[in-house]
Amino acid sequence: MTDTKTPAPSGDTPLPDLAADDENAGLRARVRRVLPVLGSMQGYIGLVVVVLLGIVTQGDTFLTQANFTDAIGAFASRGILAVGVTLVILTAGIDLSVGSVMGMASMASAMMIFQNDMPVWQIVPLCMLIGAAFGLINGIGTAWLKIQSFVMTLAMLSIARGLDKQLSNNQATPTQLRKGADLTPHAEQFQHLGTPGFNVFEGLHGGIYFPVLAFFGVVIVFHLLLSRTTFGRHVYAVGGNPTAARLSGINVTFVIIAVFTLSGLLAGFAGPIDAAYSASADPLAGTSYELDAIAAAVIGGASLAGGRGSIIGTGIGALILTLLDNVLGLNDVSPNWQLVIKGVIVVFAVVLQRPDLMRSLRRRLRGGSAGPSGSAGSNGPGGSAGSAGSSGSSGPASGGAKEAASA
Amino acid sequence: MNQRLRTRTGTVPRTRPRARTYVRALIAVLAVSGVAAATGCSSKPPMADGKPGPDGKFVIGYSQSNNAEPYRAQVNKQLEYYVKKYPNLKLLPISDANANSAQQISQVQNFIKKKVDVLLISPNEPDPLTGAVQRACQAHIPVVVLDRDVKTNCYTSFIGGDNYKIGKLAGERAAKELPHGGNVAELRGILSDKPQIDRHNGFMAGIKKNRKIKVVRQREAKWLRPNATQIMQQWLRNGTKIDLVYGHNDDMAIGAQLAAKGMHKDKSIKFIGTDGLAIDGGGIRAVQQGDLLETFAYPTGAKEAARTVEDIVRKKKVKKHQALDTQPVTKGNAEEVYKKNDFSHKGG
Repeated sequence: MTDTKTPAPSGDTPLPDLAADDENAGLRARVRRVLPVLGSMQGYIGLVVVVLLGIVTQGDTFLTQANFTDAIGAFASRGILAVGVTLVILTAGIDLSVGSVMGMASMASAMMIFQNDMPVWQIVPLCMLIGAAFGLINGIGTAWLKIQSFVMTLAMLSIARGLDKQLSNNQATPTQLRKGADLTPHAEQFQHLGTPGFNVFEGLHGGIYFPVLAFFGVVIVFHLLLSRTTFGRHVYAVGGNPTAARLSGINVTFVIIAVFTLSGLLAGFAGPIDAAYSASADPLAGTSYELDAIAAAVIGGASLAGGRGSIIGTGIGALILTLLDNVLGLNDVSPNWQLVIKGVIVVFAVVLQRPDLMRSLRRRLRGGSAGPSGSAGSNGPGGSAGSAGSSGSSGPASGGAKEAASA
Repeated sequence: MNQRLRTRTGTVPRTRPRARTYVRALIAVLAVSGVAAATGCSSKPPMADGKPGPDGKFVIGYSQSNNAEPYRAQVNKQLEYYVKKYPNLKLLPISDANANSAQQISQVQNFIKKKVDVLLISPNEPDPLTGAVQRACQAHIPVVVLDRDVKTNCYTSFIGGDNYKIGKLAGERAAKELPHGGNVAELRGILSDKPQIDRHNGFMAGIKKNRKIKVVRQREAKWLRPNATQIMQQWLRNGTKIDLVYGHNDDMAIGAQLAAKGMHKDKSIKFIGTDGLAIDGGGIRAVQQGDLLETFAYPTGAKEAARTVEDIVRKKKVKKHQALDTQPVTKGNAEEVYKKNDFSHKGG
């Protein structure tokens, strides 16, 4: 196993052989020691740049707790999807169905509250179960039937959206069930899942906005799952080299089914949050969210070739995307340019996250020709370059796809 | 959704068979347009041949652009209801193009192949569907265009609302609401959509009645509620003083209201929407609850469409252009308008 399979956040810089026979050897060795650290920092650099941009242009507004709450809250459901997608991407798969499955769960949650007046503690687990069921089918199709995950989840994207539209009869379902003029107690509760202005734990300094709490909670829980458990190591191992993983006794089929199920579970969890945010579930809710989720994972250092990436990285990727959205919005930048900038950022982020590319760049800048000594581990440039291309185009597509005109 | 699906899978290189198909398609298109030119069809839309099917019923095909829009789902429901009122009419299952023009073209062609007696269509976009309407016309099928126009004269009747007028009424309402002037923000639909363009221009013309009103913010929220919420939050956090928000549809107006409510600023800001659908969580209910100041019911045209089809098969003269009026929905008449337009309990 190379160290690309260890759960270090976006870091994969195997120290190459130290050909130390000139006077610069000491310096080069030091650079090589610093590089992995820099590599893992590059995700943060993007975040720092966006935050600085916000402070410079909109300091007073941008740097408020309220604004961060707005920004993260608006992206929270997509951020949660991104965590699930990252799990799948780590095993060298892809989950395109998360947006549709979230839409399905969102609609289910709205129907549970509006038609059956169910309490939140029942709605959320039920929605997670629904999501997990879709994920399980994705996993079975991919691991047992050997359908490529791209194809399997593309089909599921269509199936879940179709069921969503059928279930809802193509109508949006509100979440604000009223008895007379007032909301029912359960509908009142439901608002605390994400309707702007409603918090949980209100005793503590006015409370916390649930989508923000949920997003960070999911990131932390799944970071621990990947970095501290055997299952986490297995996920990286399967993504890095499935054959080697199988030969070393890892149940690859189980790991793949598990990551798809977890991805579905998280999509199910995001559903009620998304419904509460708009106080309504739209039959088209979540359309193209999968692209934002993949973009967040890729910005966070995940390689679509598998084996490389981290949940913390994806969390940072999501923060970069939403804070960028926020900064551009506060500055009244036209939505068209927002799409362009988003796409450019994805490409830059991917370039920054590739130590091998950075190194060869630096070499070229220095004018030296040290030879291909320090190329990255198992992820060839081909795989990573592919990820850059596909995610670059996801920016424009994600915004323009939803053509839900009203009349 | 499907559009994306196609572009994704379309990257698979299959050049040679594709190229041949393109050539064949090109020849077909040329041939068809040659026939069209020869017959000079485009000026005279056909009438029904007057012969019902074996069950004594005239068959209607309705090609809907996107079922997932609440407004269009409402149109479908009402159309099914009104067609049933005419015993000699039969509506085939409504086709849904998922907001994809290419898909809609093929669905129209299916209706032509089935030799429907009347074709109803709500085009997804004018340009791509113009050819499809012309082909139906050449096949001697009378066409009734619903809601969005096409760029040919080769149809029997157009039925639709007047978005410019709706926008203008909304603008005038805003001007009246702020007699001493104030700051207005506008949440716009997808900028390239015709209804968006008309509603925007109408609104700008309407608020001119009060010169003291300033439009301080305008942004595209793509007809979507969560987008509107996010944008409104940014405006308010920015310290922008806003007295009134006009949303090009109710969803955007309600989304903005949710944002303002979350900041406890909803009492000092008025919200005007458009569409006024009689559904749970729709614009009329929002007006009743005081979330929206007013909305403007955009007519579905379903009743008129069913009547027009009946007139066509009975070979009566129909009006080529039927413009439908909007109804302002205020707290005073909301319940009444809701009851009139509520189809949730009427059999589809």
